[in-house]
Amino acid sequence: MDEIGERLAAAFGDELADLHVQEPDTLVGRVARERLHDVAQRLKDLPELGYPTCNWVAGVDYTTHLESVYHLYSWSTNSYLEIHVEIPRDVAVCDSVCDLFPAANWHEREAWDMVGIRYAGHPDLRRILLKDDFIGHPLRKDYVDLVENHPHA
Amino acid sequence: MPEPLVEPSIFSEAPDEAIRLAIRRVMDEQSVSDLEGLELDTVIVNMGPQHPSTHGVLRLVVTLDGELIRDVIPVIGYLHRCKEKLAEKRTYYQYIPIVDRTEYLASMNCEWGYVMTVEKLAGIRPTRRAEFIRVIVGELMRIASHQVAVGTFVADLSPLGTAMVFYAFRDREKILDLLEAVSGARMMFNYFRFGGVRFDLPDGWVEKCRHVLADLPQRIDEYENLVNDNAIFLQRCIGKGVITQQDVVDYAITGPNARASGVATDLRRTRPYSVYPELDFDICLGEHGDVYDRYKVRIDEMRQSVKIVSQCLDMLPKGPVQLGTLRAPYTLAPPPGSAYVGQENPRGEYGTYIVSDGSRYPYRLKFRDPCFINLQIFPKVLRGVKIADAIAISGSFDMVLGGIDR
Repeated sequence: MDEIGERLAAAFGDELADLHVQEPDTLVGRVARERLHDVAQRLKDLPELGYPTCNWVAGVDYTTHLESVYHLYSWSTNSYLEIHVEIPRDVAVCDSVCDLFPAANWHEREAWDMVGIRYAGHPDLRRILLKDDFIGHPLRKDYVDLVENHPHA
Repeated sequence: MPEPLVEPSIFSEAPDEAIRLAIRRVMDEQSVSDLEGLELDTVIVNMGPQHPSTHGVLRLVVTLDGELIRDVIPVIGYLHRCKEKLAEKRTYYQYIPIVDRTEYLASMNCEWGYVMTVEKLAGIRPTRRAEFIRVIVGELMRIASHQVAVGTFVADLSPLGTAMVFYAFRDREKILDLLEAVSGARMMFNYFRFGGVRFDLPDGWVEKCRHVLADLPQRIDEYENLVNDNAIFLQRCIGKGVITQQDVVDYAITGPNARASGVATDLRRTRPYSVYPELDFDICLGEHGDVYDRYKVRIDEMRQSVKIVSQCLDMLPKGPVQLGTLRAPYTLAPPPGSAYVGQENPRGEYGTYIVSDGSRYPYRLKFRDPCFINLQIFPKVLRGVKIADAIAISGSFDMVLGGIDR
């Protein structure tokens, strides 16, 4: 794992910040919001150590900021890479990686539905688990469940 | 250009967003294609949410051109029970029975995945006997789950298949009896605990289990004899709904659906957990990734699971099934941090991602459900096939809507 980490650090430098190993087989790093699409593209195309599969995406609300977590899988080295992208609460927008990883499509819709992260460039950013006319994003920590939020419940 | 005909839905008066999207796509496509002016027989049909072939409340907005499918928009969420929201107000211990209800045909495996993630977060190691019991119940559950999958899949294809459902459910019953003897429940087991399992195996259970296992291989042969030489069955399966290896990589397909395409991805082997490294079993692979291979892989996996359980029964060590040090599991508060553990469910990689803030409640819990992800490739696979084949293809995916909607 350390060797893969070193190779990633050499290839990306500061763009993949705080890179560390989470036992047993996951590398965890942080990417700036503006650089996400570019870094994801290069991670996917990296020779010998590509991460062509996006396993899942999760939105997390840390009250101070939101986070979009990407879990990538490398078939050649059989290892995971977890990318954390910090997103400010007031402008909850992040680039979509849907064009690179088709698997991210529904996960990004779910993160929009539940946490309210808007993915710029997503082809079809509709609600997925909740109803079309639902109001609010329930997995935000400041969400208050009101009757008005469920128009047709 | 006239708007396509929309079949009226009994569930809502006005077309909702999915229908509007389907109409928009038809209009866009027609305006750019060279078919302009040609009278196309385009109809938009709601398949589901209550349709026997969708195995749950899945709704497919299907755009048909005659009998050919031009576009599919899956609509999910009809079975959404806010599981990730519920986690915010439940302790780690209280949440175990809720995990059961995600993918309800493989409850044991789901619990296992969740419990493993919490164990990773809290640094708990289960006892050795408990590890073996976990593998035993997990693999029994896999057999039972595949029996439902194969049985209902064949039933979708032909009237002959109704017999298959009865055969499969007759044998599943014996496995559920075994699991009931272990946990006290038949479907929602609530059996796994942090550091072990709830109860030890009851007296005489091992012999009963051996008895059932001895019978199973013949039963599985029986399933195969029923349909494998049936010309109609083969015609409807072979070469239909192909998932390529590139699709597996792009769409993160896992489980039997990926293995049917010849991709050797099985978390029990590629990133082994529990006592799987000590056990001898094969990864079952298909070749073409079509409907038939997906069915065949499931049949083969049942045989492998029988093999795994038999080995575990032979190797079963003596000892406690719970950690003595964990006196009050409901006060468990893992240190701050996050963890993800993937577990090989009967349908693929069932992962749990938990963020802990050091309290007794998970700060954020996310399930990576295999069916949710496998369903994403649906529009791609179904485009251009006949509507009758769509039934065969969707049956071969083996979806559980409880997992998709959470």
